Amino acid sequence: MKEVAILGVGLHAWGKFPEKSWTQMLVETAKEALKDAGVEWTDIQALVASSQLWGGRKGIYAGNYFAEAMGETGMSIINVNNACATAGSVMSVACMTILSGAADLVMAAGADKSPKGFFPSIPVYHEEPLPSVDTIRWNMGFPNPVFWALECQKRMDRYGVTETHLAKVKVAMSKHGALNPKARYRKQFTIEEVLNSAMVADPLRLYEICATSDGAGTVVLASMEKARQYTTKPIIVAASSVASGVYGDPTARIPSLGIMPKPGVPIISESYVAAKTAYEQAGIGPEDIDFIELPDNSSWHPLQYLETMGFCKEGESHHLFDEDAVLIGGRLPVCPSGGFSSFGEATTAQGFVQVYELVQQLRGQAGARQVKGANVGIAEVYGAAANNAALVLKT
Amino acid sequence: MEGGKQVPVGQGLFTWPSDEPRLIGTHCKSCGDYFFPKTFTCHNPKCKEKQIEEVTLSRKGKLWSYSILYYPPPPPFVAPDPFVPIPIVEVEIPEGLKIIGMTEDCDPKDLRFGMEMELVVGKLYTDKTGNDMIGWKFRPVR
Repeated sequence: MKEVAILGVGLHAWGKFPEKSWTQMLVETAKEALKDAGVEWTDIQALVASSQLWGGRKGIYAGNYFAEAMGETGMSIINVNNACATAGSVMSVACMTILSGAADLVMAAGADKSPKGFFPSIPVYHEEPLPSVDTIRWNMGFPNPVFWALECQKRMDRYGVTETHLAKVKVAMSKHGALNPKARYRKQFTIEEVLNSAMVADPLRLYEICATSDGAGTVVLASMEKARQYTTKPIIVAASSVASGVYGDPTARIPSLGIMPKPGVPIISESYVAAKTAYEQAGIGPEDIDFIELPDNSSWHPLQYLETMGFCKEGESHHLFDEDAVLIGGRLPVCPSGGFSSFGEATTAQGFVQVYELVQQLRGQAGARQVKGANVGIAEVYGAAANNAALVLKT
Repeated sequence: MEGGKQVPVGQGLFTWPSDEPRLIGTHCKSCGDYFFPKTFTCHNPKCKEKQIEEVTLSRKGKLWSYSILYYPPPPPFVAPDPFVPIPIVEVEIPEGLKIIGMTEDCDPKDLRFGMEMELVVGKLYTDKTGNDMIGWKFRPVR
């Protein structure tokens, strides 16, 4: 059966780089990934790239402008946007390109620059009879953290999660971020510092909500047959899945104002389905996973994702933070990269942080962040409009 | 505010002006599900017949969740100036829908899961041009 391998990865440091265009950032990561893979740009047969929302026309056709800078070769270029799940979705399309036989050496690439301040509106130029729910919630003043806070409040009421648990999530992520030279925020926080930070959307505080950043990442993928021409130790893509929301999902999903839950539909259904599909594709279960990268936009997220991805029973995830099980060296390391918490979010490039970390860990090259015996890792990244992508890599 | 207009936060969301304003949603006569804001079709993938009708929704419900926003969100979000933190709630109405909205006369200290809330329609804030933005709010039933 055809398999996909990862030959090389490149990742720009996350932060704010007003002096550099995102194209330049992406070209730098591409050079890193190509060198890592031992592959030339002119060997690449197809490109799948993150299409951005904030970069105007050039951002939408990001892959094409990136290819222009690298040197146009006429290769297939697909620009993908699945909100903050874009990078994971780009990986899935890249894998499908190889599995279909259309190409055997493919580059997945994504860069994004976050606008100053808050995410702006995405203009609508055509006529619509009624305003979108997004427009209505802007007019009502409901930014994203409110929706996460509504879910977090439910969790605290139902399962006994406390504000100290929310702070512990940040503290754990910061311990890992402190060890990552690519992370933007490298300070190790204490519980007191987190609890003293300003409340933003009760119960989520300033330090418990991730910032927004510029970032870029590139991956060189190949068919296993092709990969063996370049390396004796390819990283294997065991699963690359994409999923969307299921009708009746009870989550207060951004930017909904009316939710119609149906019995039996899991919370964050898009993430549940993508994880389940990934385990099925890989022929494994959560018990086989050595470390996890998940989308920690806020302290609520890891608590929910650990349950949704099958690592503990409903309502029990906060105990893992009490036990320090989630730290590197613990039995279930969570976000050894440091997570969104330590990087800030670069929307359509974000998932590449996770891919980069998975590869470093599986190669045994994660240095101070190394998870001992890392052989199988999973990454999940979700985005607006109920998008989600999951990736399982193994040695 | 003098000289300002009253502008609804969106078209087709609630009956207004009205002695007893209600949210406008849709109901599928075939599968029984409700939608807010109103939809042009039934969104239930298992519903084959899809017979959508416009309805007004129940005014009273139970508190399902809440948050309190402590900072005024920057543009494109709109918020009153000066900004006062007030609870934002998710309320479960008998139709099974959970509605997210602002609150009125709601002290955060009084918030209890399951408490009865009722819908009102009124001024959310006065915008920069002096118009009153009209929207729905929940207040505790006393």
